[in-house]
Amino acid sequence: MAPPSSYRPRKKRKLPSSFAGSNNALIVDSGGKTSPAFPLVSFLWSARAGVSQWLVLPLILMAVGLFRWAVSLWGYSGLGVPPMHGDFEAQRHWMEITIHLPLSKWYLYDLQYWGLDYPPLTAYHSWLLGKLGSLFDPAWFSLDESRGFEDPLLKVFMRGTVIASEYLIYIPAVVNFLRRFTQMQSVPVWSASVALAAILLQPATILIDHGHFQYNTVMLGLVVASLDAILAGRMLWACIFFVGALGFKQMALYYAPVMFAFLLGVCIFPKIRFLRLICISLVTLVAFAVLFAPMLLGALSSEAREALAVAPQPPLLQTLPVELDKHSMLYAVVFQLTQIIHRVFPFARGLFEDKVANAWCAIHTFYKLHRFEATLLQRMSLGATLASIVVPCAMIFRHPRASLLLPALSTVAWGFFLFSFQVHEKSVLLPLLPMTLLLAGDGGLSKETRAWVGWANMLGSWTMYPLLKRDELGVPYFVMTLLWAYLLGLPPTSLETFRSRALEDAPPSAELHVLTKLLHSCFYLAMIAWHVLEAFVAPPPGKPDLWVVLNAVIGAGGFGIAYLWCLWKLVQQSCMIDQKAAEETEKKTQ
Amino acid sequence: MTDLYPSLAQCAIVATAFKILLFPAYKSTDFEVHRNWLAITHSLPVKEWYYEKTSEWTLDYPPFFAAFEWVLSQAARYADPAMLVVNNLNCDSWQTIYFQRATVIVTELVLLFALSRFVKSVSPSNKHLAHIASLSIFLSPGLLIIDHIHFQYNGFLYGILILSIVLARKQSTLLYSGISFAVLLCLKHIYLYLSLAYFVYLLRVYCLDPKSIFRPRFFNIIKLGVCVVGVFAVAFGPFASWGQLLQLKDRLFPFSRGLCHAYWAPNVWAMYSFADRALIPFAPRLGLPINHDALASVTRGLVGDTSFAVLPEVTKEHTFGLTFLFQLLPLIKLWRNPEWETFVGAITLCGYASFLFGWHVHEKAVLLIIIPFSLIALKDRRYFSAFRPLAVAGHVSLFPLLFTAAEFPTKTVYTILWLVLFLYVFDQVAPVSERRRIFVADRFSLLYITVAIPLIVYCSVGHQLIFGLERYEFLPLMFMSSYTALGVVGSWVGFMVVYFTA
Repeated sequence: MAPPSSYRPRKKRKLPSSFAGSNNALIVDSGGKTSPAFPLVSFLWSARAGVSQWLVLPLILMAVGLFRWAVSLWGYSGLGVPPMHGDFEAQRHWMEITIHLPLSKWYLYDLQYWGLDYPPLTAYHSWLLGKLGSLFDPAWFSLDESRGFEDPLLKVFMRGTVIASEYLIYIPAVVNFLRRFTQMQSVPVWSASVALAAILLQPATILIDHGHFQYNTVMLGLVVASLDAILAGRMLWACIFFVGALGFKQMALYYAPVMFAFLLGVCIFPKIRFLRLICISLVTLVAFAVLFAPMLLGALSSEAREALAVAPQPPLLQTLPVELDKHSMLYAVVFQLTQIIHRVFPFARGLFEDKVANAWCAIHTFYKLHRFEATLLQRMSLGATLASIVVPCAMIFRHPRASLLLPALSTVAWGFFLFSFQVHEKSVLLPLLPMTLLLAGDGGLSKETRAWVGWANMLGSWTMYPLLKRDELGVPYFVMTLLWAYLLGLPPTSLETFRSRALEDAPPSAELHVLTKLLHSCFYLAMIAWHVLEAFVAPPPGKPDLWVVLNAVIGAGGFGIAYLWCLWKLVQQSCMIDQKAAEETEKKTQ
Repeated sequence: MTDLYPSLAQCAIVATAFKILLFPAYKSTDFEVHRNWLAITHSLPVKEWYYEKTSEWTLDYPPFFAAFEWVLSQAARYADPAMLVVNNLNCDSWQTIYFQRATVIVTELVLLFALSRFVKSVSPSNKHLAHIASLSIFLSPGLLIIDHIHFQYNGFLYGILILSIVLARKQSTLLYSGISFAVLLCLKHIYLYLSLAYFVYLLRVYCLDPKSIFRPRFFNIIKLGVCVVGVFAVAFGPFASWGQLLQLKDRLFPFSRGLCHAYWAPNVWAMYSFADRALIPFAPRLGLPINHDALASVTRGLVGDTSFAVLPEVTKEHTFGLTFLFQLLPLIKLWRNPEWETFVGAITLCGYASFLFGWHVHEKAVLLIIIPFSLIALKDRRYFSAFRPLAVAGHVSLFPLLFTAAEFPTKTVYTILWLVLFLYVFDQVAPVSERRRIFVADRFSLLYITVAIPLIVYCSVGHQLIFGLERYEFLPLMFMSSYTALGVVGSWVGFMVVYFTA
């Protein structure tokens, strides 16, 4: 039958019959029939034939946004727990004090009640959000009277600010970084979309920011933006973004040694470039100056100076060898600066707080560490941290390659998490971020990387379970972690990574090493067993924290292994670079 | 071989994860309604089920649904016995919420099963189309908003409807189709609106000889008759024997309500009200009498009993007459051409007629059109053109059901995600029609969708910014309802044309 002449035939889509090399990890080809390797690939299955990123990207962003918002419907830190409440109240309180008080009082006002102890960018961020929130309802942020304020609308507003901050900073940074990174590693666009969805559904970050309530993604987003700038070769922008990250949350210091070593390295290898070194140091200094300028200028007015002159001196200022006139401008500036540093770095606290899955807490379980003096412990901690980060820093310094940054950052961040002073369980987000970004690299979705990154993320979320349970986030914890495991084909929902694909032509390296399988299964079994114990068996009397301690000890062991894996990846990749360089020089000499 | 990824099961797993996360979301009074029914069926003898009135939310679904609640209540005991106490009004302990929300998710498996049967029933060359349509139904924002946030059990009920439609596909399973539809009627009587299509279709292809309508197949008539009557006897028999049928009738068909529901469902009467409202300023010039009592109520926009200021009143008889008339037209075609796809089209048109012209229609009833239509929307591009405005209007019209701030991002982002994804995919895969496309219809649907975006922005944010929260609060609702009514009516007209020319 002849079709009527008037209709316009629609465009036929072309399905390419074969795919580029890196997509092989996503498609299982058995006897001419292709099928997706793990469920997340199924969801993007139709997008493999060159569907526009203008469609795929918004759909992914909407889907991950829905999960974030749904998690945020649940409880938050300190909900209904007077008098101090929790992190939600702390953030709200900072909005309250920043919009009502002059800059000079931000770091001084009633420190006992959630005094501001984050760097200035957080304070400015709080000020902006407080101003916005006051447009809706000034009662949410009225000075002193709004303490412990709980209202469904306030919750919606606060949750909205977390999502808005994330979609303005973290998500554009990750999208841009992945675009550049995958191009650099010649990963196909489709694989990049799969990796993007996996990275944005990372359970630990969602649970802490949208469940527990924090703004970590702002800091993490600035770090990723800094990495993106490095990939683009804009080192000065990288400095500015990284200073921004440090200025938002001091925890970004975990990344600082690598960034420092890398930026120093690019100025020295392969040839020394003084001008670049000077530019980088100048821009960094200027960025810090701009960051602190409003705070310091705020301390200059005569009222502020009056107030600061009578305020108790921060310890750092007391140790200064010179005596300053209490009413001089210099005194105000120095006071403000030392007060911020004193608030941001609480050296006076102990080696570790609560139960956290790092080396100190694990050692303390078996060998009590109180017997040592605090200063000795501090030195031990410093020494151990330095020892753990010196190798990766040296490597990134000698080989300042952008492709080595992710393993180096994760190794160093794991080193900090395991050995440094005053670590919180939430700090595990820092090593997890660069490690998870590895999924986007070449072979990032292969069984090996997927299994290791997935395992570290599952373990990381699991060590935060005691915290999440306190916030009544047990259900979102199980849903988000199991969903992630399911989408990436990981245990406990699937044994896909453990199974061999039974293809003759597949290289043996495509499968997991038998020791890896054994190790991972032990950890997954331990996590499941722990959940059963924790849920159904009461801890023995006299040891009420037994399960939490067990969690921390197992977690510390796992994180140690994750540290070693990242270090090994770093060594492996830098060896590959050396090899390539050697081959190239050989070719040239021939 | 076409690939069917993601599979229904994979989607169901991810969707379930999302639905579990929505447990603490806003829930309407329907949550308490169903909780109350759990309590009534669990703690009272069957004789008193339809007389109990401690709560204002009396049992007003047919007996099988009450039995369904009784079955659920057997499990509810283990979750929280407190929810089963009749006097324990507004019980919403977290166990109760988890339990009731979980039952919605679990009973929705019926829909999943029905959809997988639907995909199986299609010929291999069209399997991918059926698969996409099934995914669109399972992930429908309508079901998400109504069932998983607002709280109802539509997923389960529409599962039975789809199962019955799929069973109607083969001669050998026609009897089961009839039985399952009878069961469905005894679960929720809203499906009565579709019953004429079933009646005509089963009569034509099962009870009469396909070749000649003058040769009845007596054995089939007896089988079907006994089964259907049997189902109704099981459902209503006990109540009939206790002489409670009149009480059931009063409970199931409360005709004391007004023409329009509190929020105007997007149907002809919404447009009629809008026209009435728009005519008020012109009435004196046109010499029309104004009913002054109605002025206050119409401007408020939130009315139980709508009365009209300028236009003539609409009575129940009018609505019944119109509904019946517009159901009859497609049935004539079904009678002459009793094929499965015509049958699904006829069900859809019956849904349209009752939704557009019915008395006291709920906006939720729009699923009665969308879900059967989805099954045939991918037949070719002409069907899809008619489906498109319905998909937009039908889902957008559900937005006012959820009015809390926390649910606003969920409902809008989810619906936009669904619309972008499925309208794009439908557009890619819908086969070209053998007949000419209708230029006007295509342009209408494109224009219509474009208008949706500024309108949603205005109604959700813009209006409050311009007028504040208090002033003219009825305006956004009225715009939404008229706009969506236009979409539903437009898609109805388009589909009538497609149906009668196919």
